[in-house]
Amino acid sequence: MSDPYDADRPLALRCGCGRFHDADGGHADSAPATLQGRVESTLVKALLPNETLRRRFLKAVGANTARAAIASLLPIGALEAMAATPGPLEKKDLKIGFIAITCATPLIMADPLGFYKQQGLNVQLNKTAGWALIRDKMLNKEHDASHFLSPMPIAISMGLGSVAQSMRVATIQNINGQAITLATKHKDNRDPKNWKGFKFAIPFEYSMHNFLLRYYLAEAGLNPDTDVQLRVVPPPEMVANLRAGNIDGFLGPDPFNQRAVYDEVGFIHLLSKDIWDGHPCCAFGTSEAFIQQNPNTFAALYRAVLTAADMARDPKNRDLIAKVIAPAAYLNQPETVLQQVLSGKFADGLGNVRNVPDRTDFDPVPWQSMAVWMLTQMKRWGYVKGDVDYKGIAEQVFLLTDAKKQMKALDEKVPEGAYRKYKVMGKEFDPAKAAEYAASFAIRKA
Amino acid sequence: MPTETRAPFLRVEGLSKTYAGSTEPVFERVNFDLVQGEFVCIVGHSGCGKTTILNVLAGLETASGGNVFMGGREIAGPSLERGVVFQGHALMPWLTVRGNIAFAVRSKWPRWTAAQVDAQVEKYVGLVGLGAAIEKKPQALSGGMKQRVGIARAFAIEPKMLLLDEPFGALDALTRGTIQDELLRICAETHQTVFMITHDVDEAILLGDRVLLMSNGPRAGVAEIVRNTMSRQRQRATLHHDPQYYRIRNHLVDFLVARSKDLSHGRAPALPPVVEPGLEPSPDAAVAGPNVVRLKERNA
Amino acid sequence: MSAVSAAARARLQSSLLSVAILVVLLVVWQFAAAPAAGTGNSAAALTAEQIEYQKLLGKDPAATPKNAGFPTLGQMGAAIAKNLSHPFYDNGPNDKGIGIQLGHSLLRVGLGFGLAALVAIPLGFLIGMSPLVYRALDPFIQVLKPISPLAWMPIALYTIKDSSISGIFVIFICSVWPMLINTAFGVSNVRREWLAVARTLEVAPIRKAFLVILPAAAPTILTGMRISMGIAWLVIVAAEMLVGGTGIGYFVWNEWNNLALTNVIFAILVIGIVGMTLDMAFARAQKAVSYAD
Repeated sequence: MSDPYDADRPLALRCGCGRFHDADGGHADSAPATLQGRVESTLVKALLPNETLRRRFLKAVGANTARAAIASLLPIGALEAMAATPGPLEKKDLKIGFIAITCATPLIMADPLGFYKQQGLNVQLNKTAGWALIRDKMLNKEHDASHFLSPMPIAISMGLGSVAQSMRVATIQNINGQAITLATKHKDNRDPKNWKGFKFAIPFEYSMHNFLLRYYLAEAGLNPDTDVQLRVVPPPEMVANLRAGNIDGFLGPDPFNQRAVYDEVGFIHLLSKDIWDGHPCCAFGTSEAFIQQNPNTFAALYRAVLTAADMARDPKNRDLIAKVIAPAAYLNQPETVLQQVLSGKFADGLGNVRNVPDRTDFDPVPWQSMAVWMLTQMKRWGYVKGDVDYKGIAEQVFLLTDAKKQMKALDEKVPEGAYRKYKVMGKEFDPAKAAEYAASFAIRKA
Repeated sequence: MPTETRAPFLRVEGLSKTYAGSTEPVFERVNFDLVQGEFVCIVGHSGCGKTTILNVLAGLETASGGNVFMGGREIAGPSLERGVVFQGHALMPWLTVRGNIAFAVRSKWPRWTAAQVDAQVEKYVGLVGLGAAIEKKPQALSGGMKQRVGIARAFAIEPKMLLLDEPFGALDALTRGTIQDELLRICAETHQTVFMITHDVDEAILLGDRVLLMSNGPRAGVAEIVRNTMSRQRQRATLHHDPQYYRIRNHLVDFLVARSKDLSHGRAPALPPVVEPGLEPSPDAAVAGPNVVRLKERNA
Repeated sequence: MSAVSAAARARLQSSLLSVAILVVLLVVWQFAAAPAAGTGNSAAALTAEQIEYQKLLGKDPAATPKNAGFPTLGQMGAAIAKNLSHPFYDNGPNDKGIGIQLGHSLLRVGLGFGLAALVAIPLGFLIGMSPLVYRALDPFIQVLKPISPLAWMPIALYTIKDSSISGIFVIFICSVWPMLINTAFGVSNVRREWLAVARTLEVAPIRKAFLVILPAAAPTILTGMRISMGIAWLVIVAAEMLVGGTGIGYFVWNEWNNLALTNVIFAILVIGIVGMTLDMAFARAQKAVSYAD
């Protein structure tokens, strides 16, 4: 992202031609993504229009001094505060699409618990029939914002599997909370090495479920494209397919893992947190166009969803949340199934009652390193070809700075940094070395 | 017998018809006139083209050669001036009797009020004696009744000329008799000009003022024109008592049995002679032949 | 025994037979769906953990056995009563009563079918009256006719970009064919004699079209409409399952997501009954325009 006080990077602002230039006159591809950035960049550009001069100045006095100096001359704080104060809402009546799974808990619970109303928004939550429709209804603007699978905004922005339209991830909805569920008949066949020829269901191609399942199978020596069959199936149909014997298992969202156990057709083989503890799953996002046209509304949405996420993270609230999202208008599931998912005390389908309190969590921070990991897997499996600008895309699509800013405005604890390292099945992922990571796997698309 | 020459109301000149795909015409060199107010029957075996001639007169078909003039003008397509009663009654089954006739009436006089249309319909329904059935649909009527409706429909538009294509062919003898009487009565009342095809010799003599005899096809033609010399006030019940009846009848039957075949293949004359077999044989019989009394050349 | 009461007796006999078949089916259903004896474990035989496990599976050993498969008649009856008692409730966009959902579906079907009729009947007329036009349009008709609504849906969504209008378009494009073909057939097969009568009466073409051809072809046209209505009703359920939002198809899908078989079966019964009612309405209309020939 363009930091006006970064002496090593060009300051990019929008040009009359509609694209972004760096101050040297060439075209850059990214612009300040946040309000704060925009305000500051504009001011700095106005003061120091000459790029070389700006850089020399910053190198001479250092970023902090420069910031302080400029702030003393101009009321940046006030300007930012003015920009950050909730302005009048451009659009109050919003339509938000969602899929009836527990991943979307924050954005769903914000409705019955009144968080949208608190921000002055009149939100209509539309239960949508599938991920393809979620994508289509965002593309044709029938929905203003939507529940997404977290890789989807990346894919849509890049034009993979649909027309290209800039989508953004405002928050991550949930981390962990998925599982590999197998048909009951496989309860004595739990070593993945023996799963050649199995049929698995996944909710969508551009999903963490797909990427995690492929990772898991590859670690066991299976090539997910040739040794097993992966089918895209809508989550509710996964249980029915398991019962009918059409699939051997699935890596899918809750509550359907728990539902399979409840209906006694399957058992939970592995929680997704045991593949990558803290992996992102679903996201709450919207189009870049919506953000540009309705910045205040977008900020209000942010606040509502973050408030909900904050409440959802506290284990004390989980029972209430289960009660509130169970009715027909939302998840339409038996309350006990949801409680097992949210509280982490659940029947595993093999006769045991397990207690995993962090089975699912609702950490909203959209770390850009998560986006980079997704891009490496997309490159690994051939969804995207050629050179990938990992950091560029990640920073464009995952609005980390905006999320942090909104969290701060709500007095929530804001974590530091932008890129983190992760451990996925014991192997470390360093986002700074994304390209090597993507190429480092023995099993990948040929 | 009226012998004044009225201007020909309908003139058929040199009519011939060849269907596509055949080499010989069905009929050719057909010439005859119709005078206003007269009832002409045409008699002949199947295949001689009688229905085709009627269709040409109606304007439903075009001839391959020759012309038809009505009132001095050439016929060019169907017209309300020439009403048709089809062989099958061709009533529209979704309309009542009233509806069927009203459809025709409105076609002729589109600006009439509902009351005028109703009056016309009821008048002609009454004429054919079907007043009690006027609101019924055709499926509730017998064959004879349906045919009467067809006649009423044709009469109701008061056409200049009426064309009847074997209208009683499908009816039993009893019904036929009743309707023939009615038709006779109606035509006497309305002085309608009629051209009718029939197979029934008795019917031709009862109804027709003149009977055209057609030879057999192919290349059929009008072989003779028989003038009905009996009284115009004919009655079916008493017809056969008239001595002329059997003379005319025998002449017609003889023609149909033998001569129609002999004159096929174009051997019928272009200008058919007019004969009056009903009259008593004259002393010239030896010269002209037993059944032909007087030969009259047709006026050119 | 008069003819009238003989006919009434025949109807009574067939009605009784229908009822008897229904009773047999219901009895078979009840026996097949009832949970097998002994699935409810006695509480005494289990450890505390096992009891808790059973409870988490929704099977409280002390309570009545949970039904794990096909619903019993009792459960069906309860579901039917519950759904029909409040057919018009509205709990927001994702949870509405069956009456409201049906209303949405019927509206969509009405629009799609109506549009299809508006296009099919005049076009069918044209095709029926002109062999040239018929031959020219025939290849298009034959290619487009067999395409399933599920295949049209993505194309419609992609181009029309509005799911409601796409649904109506899909109904239109699937139900237009029987009406079109039947109208063309009916028009081209009008009895020649009636056309001859119209000619001799010098009937103008428009008057002929409305007063002779249309009534003559009406039974065939209405048969086409009846078939089309059946197809439209079939399609709307499929379309709504795909697109969601409102409608009886969405209701089915929503209950399917919950794996609530009772409500799914209830919805299927509703779909069947409404379909039958629509068909009966058209059958009446067909009878009204038919004539003996």
